[in-house]
Amino acid sequence: MALGALTTLSTPVAKKSPKTPSRPATQKTQPRVNAAERMLNLLALLSARTQPITLKQIRAELHNQYSDDNNAARAQFERDKSDLRALGIPIEGTVLGGAQAGETAYSVNRNSYELSDMGFTAEELQALQLAASIVHLGAQEGEQALWKLGAERVNPKIGPRASIGFTDPHLDTILDAISVRSPLTFMYKGEHRTVDTYGMLARRGFWYIVGFDHLRKAQRVFRVDRIESAVKKGKSGSYTIPKNLNIASAVPTDRQMMAAGDYEHASAQVRIDPSLVRTVAREFGDTAKVRDEADGSAVFEIPCSNGYGFRLWLFAMVDKAEVVSPPEVRDMVVRWLDELTEQA
Amino acid sequence: MAKKRPTPKRRSPARRATPKRRGPRSASERVAGLLVLLPWLMKRKRVRLADVAKQFRMSEEDLVADIQMAAVCGVPPYTPDTLIDVFIDDGWVVAEVPNFFTRPLRLTSAEMYAVIAMVRAAQKLPGAPERSVLARAVSKLAKLAPEATDGPVHIDLPDEPNLEDLRSAQADSAELRIEYFNPARSEVAQRTIRVVRIFSESGHWYVLADDDKSGAIRNFRVDRIQSVVRTGKLYNQADVASRIEDDADGGWFGSDLELVTLRVRGDATWIAEAYPTVSRRKNRDGSIDVALRVSSEHWLSRLLLRGGRNVQVLEPAKYSDLAARTAALVRARYA
Repeated sequence: MALGALTTLSTPVAKKSPKTPSRPATQKTQPRVNAAERMLNLLALLSARTQPITLKQIRAELHNQYSDDNNAARAQFERDKSDLRALGIPIEGTVLGGAQAGETAYSVNRNSYELSDMGFTAEELQALQLAASIVHLGAQEGEQALWKLGAERVNPKIGPRASIGFTDPHLDTILDAISVRSPLTFMYKGEHRTVDTYGMLARRGFWYIVGFDHLRKAQRVFRVDRIESAVKKGKSGSYTIPKNLNIASAVPTDRQMMAAGDYEHASAQVRIDPSLVRTVAREFGDTAKVRDEADGSAVFEIPCSNGYGFRLWLFAMVDKAEVVSPPEVRDMVVRWLDELTEQA
Repeated sequence: MAKKRPTPKRRSPARRATPKRRGPRSASERVAGLLVLLPWLMKRKRVRLADVAKQFRMSEEDLVADIQMAAVCGVPPYTPDTLIDVFIDDGWVVAEVPNFFTRPLRLTSAEMYAVIAMVRAAQKLPGAPERSVLARAVSKLAKLAPEATDGPVHIDLPDEPNLEDLRSAQADSAELRIEYFNPARSEVAQRTIRVVRIFSESGHWYVLADDDKSGAIRNFRVDRIQSVVRTGKLYNQADVASRIEDDADGGWFGSDLELVTLRVRGDATWIAEAYPTVSRRKNRDGSIDVALRVSSEHWLSRLLLRGGRNVQVLEPAKYSDLAARTAALVRARYA
């Protein structure tokens, strides 16, 4: 449909005639539209009333919007109520006494679902907008929150911008569980896990959760994209999050992984070709440098307790790096290389 | 007149975009959207229809349908003064008299965590808003959810000393000379670049720049830039930006790059997760066949060396002994 036609049609005067008992015929064929309209009207009505009202009264007020059939109307109302609850709007029911004994009256407390005035200054709101544009966290949570706070999505062209993927279907459940301290259960590496989740970390393109693993009886890290089943929430308020827990440092970095292992040698000296000296110095710090060589290359002391991590790091430089000592580590590298040469 | 049913529109296949829906929107989705949209509009009073649609990532058709629906909602007796005051006037959305749904919904805990995590991560980057202003905003947010400020959600972006120089060069439209380590050749070369965009993807910072050496717009990984100096020349942002449009089909990796199929298993399965792949298939024995585009033979040889015995080249056959050849080359240093 052309947009022009729609916009001219929707002048307020034309639309704002009092509702008549018979709703426009076109809407009968669109039950979904009806339900949305009815939900908005229900919420407007309950928000405007200071006293709770019964379903009978609601049906009389929302003339013809609920079915004439009592059971069908009840079902529609229950559905609206649960949809609104899912949006964070609880409709409270109170069972009445006296003349209306047994009937339930409904009300909604605006203070329980509306955001109070945050009192942001224009400057603060702009700062939030800019921060959110620099680090963009998925479409759903980040943007929704900005709009609710009265801010908007902006798109600066200058400066670094990070987009953090937030598309994993488990993330919402996990965040929700953290906020109510509800243990999560899921399959991970073929085992049923129950985890008191303390926090989440986005690093290197992956999401991690940190928590107490009931199976191992210890704090563990899980990569969210490696969860092998649906994630289920347990009872709320089942645990507390340890004070002063630093989520970022609870997840080991690549460098820490290289130092975490049971290999008999904790470190090795590696000669780095001139072209990569600066890169390695930045990665491991100048203190890791043992000596500069006359040809511009340099020898670094690099952690190798985790042989696997060490290998990934070393071979990323192909023939631009060489283990010089200890001889055992040098021999191990030679064995790795020989295995590959023999494979052919 | 008959209303047209909202037509679901396919979104452009942006890599990070969340597909919001496939079919018509449900009643509760529409209500949820309006409960966010209406207070936002009432605060602004008049906004261009196209801008609202863009901001809320909706089609104009869906937006118009929702606003028309809201305009006939309110409280009994549903006379003009008891309906939500919102309408569309000649391409503008107007909500001048806030009467219903004037206050937004509370933030969910997920939203609260998201905002605080975003702000925390942004604070560490060059170009961030002034610290004290952000801190004030965060402390106001914190009143809503004191437990969220302990930060159970963290975003860890790599610390890059070069980012500030790149940002200021971009802001000043200053051409740069960089020393860049190219893993496709394992060598460091000088290049002259004009920065178009600085972004992070899968945990690495990249700079999209016009590169005089290749004559093309390409991505450089910031942690591989070894030094940055200004050449003293300035460039025109608009010119460079218009060249991206022309190059847009090249995408992240050009489709002219060679396609290689690998079988990875055991401790080498990270290869299937670490790079953009064309296809990925899990085999019964737990190994994964993964097809990816490689920028050079050298890059592939490096990958094979790192993957070790748990990687096997399935196609093309000319690379089946590449791992062995590479290992022999490195082995020569240990002779």
